[in-house]
Amino acid sequence: MINDIWILATASLVAAACALVGVFLILRRQALMGDAISHSVLLGIVLAYLITDSRALPVMLGGAVLIGLLTAWLSDSLHRIGKLQNDASIGIVFTLFFAIGVILVSLYTGQIDLDQECILYGEIAFIPFDTLTIGGGGNIADGFEIGPRAFWSIAIVFMIVLISILITFHRLQTVAFHPNLALSLGINTVFWHYFLMTLVSMTTVASFDAVGAILVVALLVIPASSAYLVAKSLKGMLWSAIAYSQTSVAIGYTLAYQLDSAISASISVSAGLLLLLTILILEIQKKRTHNLQKAS
Amino acid sequence: MTSLPVHAQLNIVTTTGMIADLTKNIGGKHVKVTALMGTGVDPHLYKATQGDLRRLVKADIILYNGLNLEGKLQAIFEKMAHKKPVFAISAHIPKAELMYHDNTPDPHIWFDVALWQKAGVRILEILKTQDPTHQADYERNASAYFTQLQQLDQWVTTEVQRIPESRRILITAHDAFGYFGQAYQIKVLGLQGMSTASEFGLQDIKQLKDTIVQHRVQAVFVESSLSPRFIEAVVKGVEAEGTPLKIGGELYSDAMGLTDTPAGTYIGMVKHNVNTIVSALK
Repeated sequence: MINDIWILATASLVAAACALVGVFLILRRQALMGDAISHSVLLGIVLAYLITDSRALPVMLGGAVLIGLLTAWLSDSLHRIGKLQNDASIGIVFTLFFAIGVILVSLYTGQIDLDQECILYGEIAFIPFDTLTIGGGGNIADGFEIGPRAFWSIAIVFMIVLISILITFHRLQTVAFHPNLALSLGINTVFWHYFLMTLVSMTTVASFDAVGAILVVALLVIPASSAYLVAKSLKGMLWSAIAYSQTSVAIGYTLAYQLDSAISASISVSAGLLLLLTILILEIQKKRTHNLQKAS
Repeated sequence: MTSLPVHAQLNIVTTTGMIADLTKNIGGKHVKVTALMGTGVDPHLYKATQGDLRRLVKADIILYNGLNLEGKLQAIFEKMAHKKPVFAISAHIPKAELMYHDNTPDPHIWFDVALWQKAGVRILEILKTQDPTHQADYERNASAYFTQLQQLDQWVTTEVQRIPESRRILITAHDAFGYFGQAYQIKVLGLQGMSTASEFGLQDIKQLKDTIVQHRVQAVFVESSLSPRFIEAVVKGVEAEGTPLKIGGELYSDAMGLTDTPAGTYIGMVKHNVNTIVSALK
């Protein structure tokens, strides 16, 4: 029971953090940034391994966040300076990084098991077992256990995302919807782009470590897209994205429990079903108002 | 750690099917064994279900391979070991008997039957300490099974010797058969590196083709838990150069065959692999 609570709590935080940054990604037409980062982190972990000769998690996470940042920054620069489309810039940067990573693996590390799948991506079902202990003087058995490591790392990331968005809400809103107004007001739009990309990279890598790649990519795109369909303001979109993401987690976990299926896949599927349902309801509503107008 | 009721079966959860098979043979009627990774699952790509969490929580003993076979899961098992009986079955194998690639041990120890028996000795010790009341039964089961493993080891050695020495080259998709090659004197070449996600270079394919042509290798092999397309590509490439090459059959590498089929046990799997290799290469 306590295990289910830890998993649900971690999944909810991952979902909320991803939904929040996902909203901005959708508005900026960079929905697949999460997918891009999930590939380019390979370069990050290979470089980190080649430099430090260690496969320890903190080293791998560090490499992943740095390359994630670089992916987000470079694709944004390519879009702004190179005048390429947003989706094309993302596609160029992450395939390049992934390819360099693959070359480095086959050149230097071909004999050892080094890929993001087994080193970086976490498994949501095992969150409760990977606990953090404080005190005890190096002897883990003597320390005080404070719950899963993934829960605390994603909790910190979620707080950073939430506070950043709360403090900078108006700036982000102006930059997202009225870039020209922002420029004329003297707002440094480049800074805010990079600010947002930093949040994206941090959230994605921390979430990969906690729950694995597929769920993160789904949670970045789907709840924010559903919210995009129903909301009328940025604030409304952020709230609905969170509501959609939390409902997906609840339905998905119940499904996984009933079917004995993979948890992350079940949550992703639930998010997709909610999106379909939203589209369906919106269509029915549209038809009905259309018919009403005709009748009158 | 609570002590167990005397009459109850030990509930043991293992990662791979091979470990489950070994444990069942030693534990006999006193254990109930469940493997997390099913048939045909590449351990590198295993995804846990919600039920796996419950199975791990309820398990009296958890056994895993170790040597990084389980990837990130291994770190979790090492942490769990502080609270629960969780053991790596490879832990007591002397370092000198392991194969290393750049200081990283090769985890595929089950391909050397003698080495696998050492993993069995470790499981026997674990069962004896965790459930002392049935020590004698475990000893008896283990010695009967170890005799079978020794016979199997002998059989594999003589079977492989039937392949003419110049043709004793085993070519598969990824480097899982290192221990097999070392123990039974057959040269092993793989297309991919040890990680199933890494890709191979043009040079690798060219070298492989040259070796095949030069040594008149007659067959290469596909693996049950990996896509056969890479090996099929090599076969086409070599045939295009006018040297006949066939696919010798499917080998079980990272997972055993379906339950209730001959290859669904460890011994059956080894026999299947050796028969496939010998009949294709001799």
